[in-house]
Amino acid sequence: MKRGMKKYLLLAAFALGAINAHAKEWKDIRIGYEGAYPPFSSIQPDGTPVGFDIDMIHALCAQMHANCTLVQVNWDGLIPALQAEKIDAIVASVAITAERKQKVSFTEKYYNAPRRLVVPKNSPIKDATPAELKGKRVGVQRGTLADKYANAYWVPAGVQLVRYPTQDEVFLDLRSGRIDAALQDATMAYAAFLSKPDGANYKFVGAPLLGTTPEQKTLLGEGYGIPVRKSDDDLRQQLNQAIEAIRANGTYQSIEKKYFDFDIY
Amino acid sequence: MSELQQYLPALIRGAEVTLVLAVLSVALAVCVGMAGAMAKLSGSRPLVSLATAYTTLIRGVPEFVMMLLVFYGGQIILNRISSALGFHAPDVDAFVTAVFTIGFIFGAYYTETFRGAILGVPRGQMEAARAYGFSGWLAFRRILFPQMVRLALPAAVNNWLVLLKTTAIASLIGLHDVMFIADQAGRTTQAPMTFYLAACVVYLLVTSGSTACLARARVQLNRGVREGRLHG
Repeated sequence: MKRGMKKYLLLAAFALGAINAHAKEWKDIRIGYEGAYPPFSSIQPDGTPVGFDIDMIHALCAQMHANCTLVQVNWDGLIPALQAEKIDAIVASVAITAERKQKVSFTEKYYNAPRRLVVPKNSPIKDATPAELKGKRVGVQRGTLADKYANAYWVPAGVQLVRYPTQDEVFLDLRSGRIDAALQDATMAYAAFLSKPDGANYKFVGAPLLGTTPEQKTLLGEGYGIPVRKSDDDLRQQLNQAIEAIRANGTYQSIEKKYFDFDIY
Repeated sequence: MSELQQYLPALIRGAEVTLVLAVLSVALAVCVGMAGAMAKLSGSRPLVSLATAYTTLIRGVPEFVMMLLVFYGGQIILNRISSALGFHAPDVDAFVTAVFTIGFIFGAYYTETFRGAILGVPRGQMEAARAYGFSGWLAFRRILFPQMVRLALPAAVNNWLVLLKTTAIASLIGLHDVMFIADQAGRTTQAPMTFYLAACVVYLLVTSGSTACLARARVQLNRGVREGRLHG
């Protein structure tokens, strides 16, 4: 058995070697972005794109010493444009999901917006655990990952879940005191509420919810990756190495600090 | 409101794109429509069936679907063909795609408009022209066309107004027209209504402007003719 395994490993190593020998190094890459999802991606009046996604593109391209062309594509057109070879990669906060994996292949995540609990600054709630929140009213936007997570792990422990059609309404009711806490995507809570005057008297409480068990991790997703065509595995590996490199040399962290005061990886 | 001021130059650039796109598309649509109407009235069976197939197909498929099919589907087909032949496929341009798609879609509507107009000119007019020894082309130019234009104008103007608004779907394939700019600016500033209203104003200005111009053209064309009225 052991010998058999060794043979396969050796074969795999040869195969990898062969792939590497033929792998093309991408020098000219056309990258699609969206431009309508602040603070990740938006377009300034003069037409220049800005945001976390855009800074990521520049950092990754500089790391790869690649000549990148940024192509604006509407959200619905991003994957069709990738398949039609109008672009080679997408950096547009695309969540890694099983459904999308059937059509494209993803790099490792380049960020993973965790869910986080928001409460008033003077709230008695000190942590985002079912025990701490028992009997409390927690608001979520219906159908979001926050809703699914709280429904699965908090409601059985006696937390009262209040669902709203939009995130704006969650924050409005948090301000009016109808709910004790709000659970949602941390990057969005920060960009749309906590960093604005309306959210001045509110704060995050507890650790970001990333999931501890495999089921929780599956429910919360694997974060946001960079889709490339399935046939371009060389590009996917090149991007993975670049993500790792900018995480290691601090470029990632300095970009992150421009937009968020907490870790979103 | 300051957001609107910031994005005003971008909106004006977008309005220019919309206008150029609409004018080029309508020029193509009128040519296609004229050819289509001639084909339908030619009496030659293959030409008639070709033109009928064209108007049936085009008028039956939503513009939106057609645009995406041409832009993405067309690129995929082009990629396949050129990789089979061993060269790199050219990139299908969004503006060119939009002009051709909108031009061909509205060509079908203009075909019907022009066909109706040609049929509205009494047969005796052409017969008389031929009896005076006019060649086919001369009879068309001097007798049929001037009368037909007068009959076609109201429906043609209607088609033009619909075409102008249809150009908004070009924003879906990433063309930076006024709708696209308004949408992006609205999302970026989180004030979508301001920018959608601004886009409305642009479309309204162009449509009302062109309606006024075409009303004058109609007066010119109707010289020497009295329009029929219903007796009240």
